[in-house]
Amino acid sequence: MSEHIVCCHECDELVAIHHPYREGRFKCPQCGSLLFRHKAGMIEKMYALSISALILFGVTNYFPFLSFEVAGNISHANFFTSVLYLSKEGEYLLSLAILMTTIVIPLLRIVLFVVLFAPLYHRHIPSYATNVLKILEYSTPWGMLDVFLIGVLVSLVKLVKMGSIIAGTSVWAFGVLVFVLAYMQVVYNPHQIWDLIDKNRGDI
Amino acid sequence: MRAIECGLACCSVCHHIVKMPSSNKGVAICPRCNEEVHYRKKNSLQHTWALVIASIVFYIPANMLPMMHVHTFAGTQSDTIISGVIYFLHSGSYLIASVIFIASIIVPITKLMILIYLLISVQMKKTTNKIKRKKLYELTELIGKWSMVDVYVVAIMIALVHFGGLSEIKAGQGANYFLLVVILTMIAAMRFDVRLIWDIKEDNAT
Repeated sequence: MSEHIVCCHECDELVAIHHPYREGRFKCPQCGSLLFRHKAGMIEKMYALSISALILFGVTNYFPFLSFEVAGNISHANFFTSVLYLSKEGEYLLSLAILMTTIVIPLLRIVLFVVLFAPLYHRHIPSYATNVLKILEYSTPWGMLDVFLIGVLVSLVKLVKMGSIIAGTSVWAFGVLVFVLAYMQVVYNPHQIWDLIDKNRGDI
Repeated sequence: MRAIECGLACCSVCHHIVKMPSSNKGVAICPRCNEEVHYRKKNSLQHTWALVIASIVFYIPANMLPMMHVHTFAGTQSDTIISGVIYFLHSGSYLIASVIFIASIIVPITKLMILIYLLISVQMKKTTNKIKRKKLYELTELIGKWSMVDVYVVAIMIALVHFGGLSEIKAGQGANYFLLVVILTMIAAMRFDVRLIWDIKEDNAT
């Protein structure tokens, strides 16, 4: 299909796109908001990035994250032990929020990216693609690892005055993970996959 | 040409353009992803108002009550958001003070003020500054989650500092309320249908 009609989700304008597979950003002529962004080799890049994100997520959660020492006493924390400690202290709301926004939703999104792009890379559209795309769409704003990174930096500065703080292997893996996830968000173009699903249906 | 003028609606999940049935109340099922499609988000203004008002109510205890209590052998110190910022200003950490100040005070207030302005401007059927108002909306979506920084800071500090009588950090009630403010304002921004801004032109034209 050389011509393609897209509806701007900000101003409801119908926009004809003549070359949807030309690399670059497509903007609405009426209101200027971004319709979608196309990058060549999206599927290959997303496959590679999602696998590296999965590895980095594993490293982040397996190795010690931060250690804190005051007068010979030392305590360690990573994502999961923080959640456990908070719920033990009775801070259920806080611990639930941390659990969802820094563990469950980011991990779910990474795993879904892997199971979506692995078959796509091998030129096969999985039957669950529609549902996966839906969950990815709904969960976008709720993965907050990038915000957590700033939180880590702020608390490092706060704690430096109280004792000595040791950044574990995880912190480095986590820093890289945040950048990988941000780059994935730039490359990810669900329009292209919906088009593939449409074309596939046309064949049947 | 706008989609609503052609009897078309854009699926909010997969952005498929769906032909809307003329008889029904403007509801259809998207043939591509099986989600319900509406011309506009249902009861968008009411829901956004409700969430905005709830956020304002929660924002008061979030600022009045302490975010965390620091127990050391020298005594207990309780910090609210503002007193935390002032503490950092005094101790010379201007960068951290400004990060906390922007994330916990400027961002939530800006977000609420923008949403109230957008709601009122849509209800008063304003036709000017559409692009500017759309940009303001994009801004609220963009900055929404960054207020979580302070909640994360509190959580990290609690998880790291627990040495009994020597030094211990506990969460204050303010942290819970602040968390609710962040979540409610995020949902409020999602519930607002920015296309309503552009719908007003048609009303005036006809």
